[in-house]
Amino acid sequence: MDGKGFFIDLTKCHACRGCQVACKQWHKLPAEETHNWGSFQNPQDLSFITYKLVRMEESVENGKVKDWLFFPDQCRHCIQPPCKMVGDMDDERAILQEFETGTVMFTARTKNLFADEIRDSCPYDIPRVNELTNVLSKCDMCFDRVINGKLPACVLSCPTGTMHFGDLDDMKAMAQERLAEVKKIYPNAVLGDPNAVRVIYLFQDRPSKYHGRAVASVGPRLYNRQQAFAKLFRPNRKA
Amino acid sequence: MTNHYNDLMNSDCILMMGANPAENHPVSFKWVMKAKEKGGKILSVDPRYTRSSSKADLYVPMRSGTDIAILGGMIKYILDNDLYFKDYVVNYTNASFLVNPDFGFKDGLFTGYDPQTESYKKDTWTFQMDAQGIPRKDPTLQDPNCVFQLMKKHFERYNLDRASETSGSPKDKLEEFYKMYAATGAPDKSGTIMYAMGWTQHTTGVQIIRAMAMIQLLLGNVGVAGGGVNALRGTSNVQGSTDQALLFHIIPAYMPTPRANLATLDAYNATTPKSNDPKSANWWQNRPKYIASLLKAMYPDQDPATSYNFMPKLDVGQNCSWLVLFDHMHQGKFKGYFVWGQNPAGSSANSTKTREALSKLDWMVSVNVFDNETASFWKGPGMNPAQVKTEVFALPPAVFCEKEGSVSNSGRWIQWRYQGPKPPGQCVRDGDIMLELFTRIRDLYKKDGGAFPDPILNLNQKDIAKEGKSFPDRFDPQKVAKLLSGYDVNTGKQVANFTQLKDDGSTACGNWLHSGAWTEDGNNMARRDKTQTEMQANIGLFPSWSFAWPVNRRVLYNRASVDLNGQPYAPHKAVIKWDGSKWVGDVPDGGWPPSERHPFIMRAEGYGQFFGPGLADGPFPEHYEAMECPYEEHPFSGQLHNPTALKFAGEAAMRAVCDPRYPFVGTTYRVTEHWQTGIMTRWLPWLLETMPQNFAEIDPELAQLRGIKNGDKVILENMRGAIECVAVVTPRMQPLISMGQKLHQVGTTWHYGWLHPKDGGDSANLLTPSVGDPNTGIPETKTFMVNIRKA
Amino acid sequence: MKLGRREFIKLSATATAVTAFGGLGFNLKPTVAKAQLLRLDWAKETTSICCYCSVGCGVLVHTDKSGGGRCINIEGDPDHPINEGSLCAKGAALFQVAENENRMTKVLYRAPYSNKWVEAPWDWALDRIAKKVKEARDETFTRTNAQGQVVNRTNGIAHCGSAEVENEENWFMQAMMRSLGLVYIEHQARI
Repeated sequence: MDGKGFFIDLTKCHACRGCQVACKQWHKLPAEETHNWGSFQNPQDLSFITYKLVRMEESVENGKVKDWLFFPDQCRHCIQPPCKMVGDMDDERAILQEFETGTVMFTARTKNLFADEIRDSCPYDIPRVNELTNVLSKCDMCFDRVINGKLPACVLSCPTGTMHFGDLDDMKAMAQERLAEVKKIYPNAVLGDPNAVRVIYLFQDRPSKYHGRAVASVGPRLYNRQQAFAKLFRPNRKA
Repeated sequence: MTNHYNDLMNSDCILMMGANPAENHPVSFKWVMKAKEKGGKILSVDPRYTRSSSKADLYVPMRSGTDIAILGGMIKYILDNDLYFKDYVVNYTNASFLVNPDFGFKDGLFTGYDPQTESYKKDTWTFQMDAQGIPRKDPTLQDPNCVFQLMKKHFERYNLDRASETSGSPKDKLEEFYKMYAATGAPDKSGTIMYAMGWTQHTTGVQIIRAMAMIQLLLGNVGVAGGGVNALRGTSNVQGSTDQALLFHIIPAYMPTPRANLATLDAYNATTPKSNDPKSANWWQNRPKYIASLLKAMYPDQDPATSYNFMPKLDVGQNCSWLVLFDHMHQGKFKGYFVWGQNPAGSSANSTKTREALSKLDWMVSVNVFDNETASFWKGPGMNPAQVKTEVFALPPAVFCEKEGSVSNSGRWIQWRYQGPKPPGQCVRDGDIMLELFTRIRDLYKKDGGAFPDPILNLNQKDIAKEGKSFPDRFDPQKVAKLLSGYDVNTGKQVANFTQLKDDGSTACGNWLHSGAWTEDGNNMARRDKTQTEMQANIGLFPSWSFAWPVNRRVLYNRASVDLNGQPYAPHKAVIKWDGSKWVGDVPDGGWPPSERHPFIMRAEGYGQFFGPGLADGPFPEHYEAMECPYEEHPFSGQLHNPTALKFAGEAAMRAVCDPRYPFVGTTYRVTEHWQTGIMTRWLPWLLETMPQNFAEIDPELAQLRGIKNGDKVILENMRGAIECVAVVTPRMQPLISMGQKLHQVGTTWHYGWLHPKDGGDSANLLTPSVGDPNTGIPETKTFMVNIRKA
Repeated sequence: MKLGRREFIKLSATATAVTAFGGLGFNLKPTVAKAQLLRLDWAKETTSICCYCSVGCGVLVHTDKSGGGRCINIEGDPDHPINEGSLCAKGAALFQVAENENRMTKVLYRAPYSNKWVEAPWDWALDRIAKKVKEARDETFTRTNAQGQVVNRTNGIAHCGSAEVENEENWFMQAMMRSLGLVYIEHQARI
């Protein structure tokens, strides 16, 4: 069994932001103090208390809007999570990966890690730190719901069939099938790193139009195993 | 809605115009996207490119307030290109009716206009009658006085050039839009309209909707799966509160409020709609049964002829609608005011006037979950509490999940809610607040007497209150629900449906449209059974889930979805079908065999109306500019504005027409993350986080013109007021070329208010004018003129 | 280390809540302080309909059976044919409609010309409102209009509302207001 996964079909997202708020609701995460910064997107970025964020980008052609692209961003629960690779060097119980679902989970022991390193290690720039406690957080796949047979809060909340959750193999198959359909309308459509992650996005346009770190290939800072091990020898490593 | 939310998936073409369902009815989009998956086309016509537009196959920009020019253009396109559904038009609409030859239309005015009263005498807006008193018809549609020919003539002026010039919508986009939508005129295709306050909130609001209804009739789209005329209503129970008639002009279930000239119940019943056509069901002929049962529900111990006197009567022609109510309040005509679950200080057009009006009251009772700009108006901007006499009571109610009862969605599903948690603190369920207050008032009248105490002393108690219980646990929603559904007063048995209601006082029924919602079998509104026949499942009817009014019918006027033999025009998505001995599928509009009755059973004649003589501003829709507009003339007629619009003395000078100080077209709207004036969302940290402050959306060219950068603080202003908000400079807004001029539009929301959050901004309704549609009185808050500048 | 479910639960159960709130200084109310895991098993589940727009989405309301009996979770009802479990941003936030420290939970009274609210008991407020209604009604009640026609109406009191309450409450509201003789009865549907 290859664990669980998400398929997120961005051609169907209309940014109702049910997922973003459902995540806060289930986890009872406090709200951030925000300001309108000339965009409907808020908070501006993921944070220690915002695990899921619908990013919004206008795609413009000849001065006219061609598309309004919506991207519910979250942890990809990588098959080989670089954050865990790096984290394990300092505390093996800080970042956990569950066997059956593949959930990558940050615990309170992430305070024992170097937060910047963990964030830098993520190809999708997901982990966020609480500056006061040095604890890191991110999406936990609603693990408590999932092991009780419920859908993750964000997936349950999605009205349009943008978000799907199930066995990873099924999600992969669904993604490929839908990609083939969507390509007829959107020739640039592409899946985001379908073999490396448990959260597979279908982009209708180039992923970079959605967000600079939407897929790993566009991010400059993916750690490979060798680089990660090289970090073992940095001078200020914690005991 | 004639149809319901799930039914959207059956559509071949969904038009979103005057609505932005992706943002304001987000879960409806589940069914919009299902239609799209099945190959249906999605069209978005809107001054802004919205979240709905982002999923549309075609987006057409437009100038706010020009909907009739655009839709009139479509009517002409359909007629010119013979794209209408001929059988449907001939058999099911009044296209063939012959109109009074004295009826006419000239330069923007229909016959009968009286400039003194700014209203129409409608004596020429009539049909020619035969000897039996049935309208004369020409089924060939050739007679120059037939409705079809008059309609053709009326819309002759609505050519593509003029529609485009007026609306600013590019010609090629308009033509593509017409072509895509008109394709649903094929007998087995259906198109639907999702509209909301983007259409109602204009001085031409009702006629915009009529224009679309005419398109739906031309294309045979009413009564069918994936079709209909679908108003997406704004509030979880605004359908229900309308059905219960919290409105001056109707009493429960759409019966007219008694007027002073109808002194007795017999006189009231003499105005019951009549038809001499044996094939017209003329459902309203049953009205005497419904009014008698309503009176019996309100006053169980009196016979209806007596209790009719208990009903307050309006003078003939008296208008007490929203804007008039606040105008009269502003004039100091009221001592007291109840405001229940509402925030008019933010939601009402021309909010400054509304807020001033509140200060003219002796007392006000506000019932609201959160503090709001109405309850606290006396400490708002521009108010000096030391000079405000109004005594204010703010009562804390329970919220939706803390009580039991039913709510009706736009699709007319009456759904039952159960109580979860109990109300916290001193919060009390609304029903108990009312009941206790009423009981104390009644006790005062019992004790001290007073003006005409009879209605108060006789009002039904036994079907409202639990026995042996006291405040705050006495109001009994189950009993009231049974009363609304109706029972036989002699046997005490619930009626099965409204066909069992009587006009002699032997039945009590609070709302004939609710009849059948609670029968001897129990509470049908609480049903959660998803079983359905294959035919029902095919179009998602869910007949055993909750209860839909009337009589659990899910698609209204469904007899228009079949031919004269009862066979569906669209067999692959049939709503009903005559199997030789009975109807199968949905509950039909009456059980008569095919073609024994005309399908539009709520119209006296039984036909869909292209010619609609019942309205205040004409039997056909006509384009007029909004009461505030950028032009002094338009190419359709010499009548700049709707000549019958609702307006108030002394306010004309405050309206900008072609005024260089206010050169931009303003419009208001809502976003997914907030709701109405924001009272139920601004206080929720999770929602405030997502949309923390009011904003104004403007196009990049206008931003450059005014030196505004994205995220800057800006001021929107006109003669009525000014608001500060954040500029969202976006290519989703584009300047339009309309009547040879480049025109910029400015959009903003009415979700915010001075009370909370402190940096959120105040209501956009400080800018909107107190003018209204002549039929409904709904304020024109969707089109007005503004200036924008950097704060 | 890669973990099996049991070890994982053991390690993460305490971790999630701590991760979310640890060190932020947020004071968790007892209603939400329960461990995330399986918390719904201890709750009463009722069905309701969302109170925002008119789509009529079904929701599941979970009420804590112990302690204060407050709401601990509201999410979409997966069995409901309209929303099939889904909710928009507003629907997803329904929990904060019920559980919200900003809610009005006391009767407030503002005297004429006063610059502040004061708390008042229900009993006092209802008596006073009843008296005010009777005064205004008795003073402005009109038996006949200028034409001498019987109208039996109260001109001096107006009412707005409400699309926010249930059908049964609305029906009684109109019955009550009409029995008092009001004709200025309006609400959200007009705007």
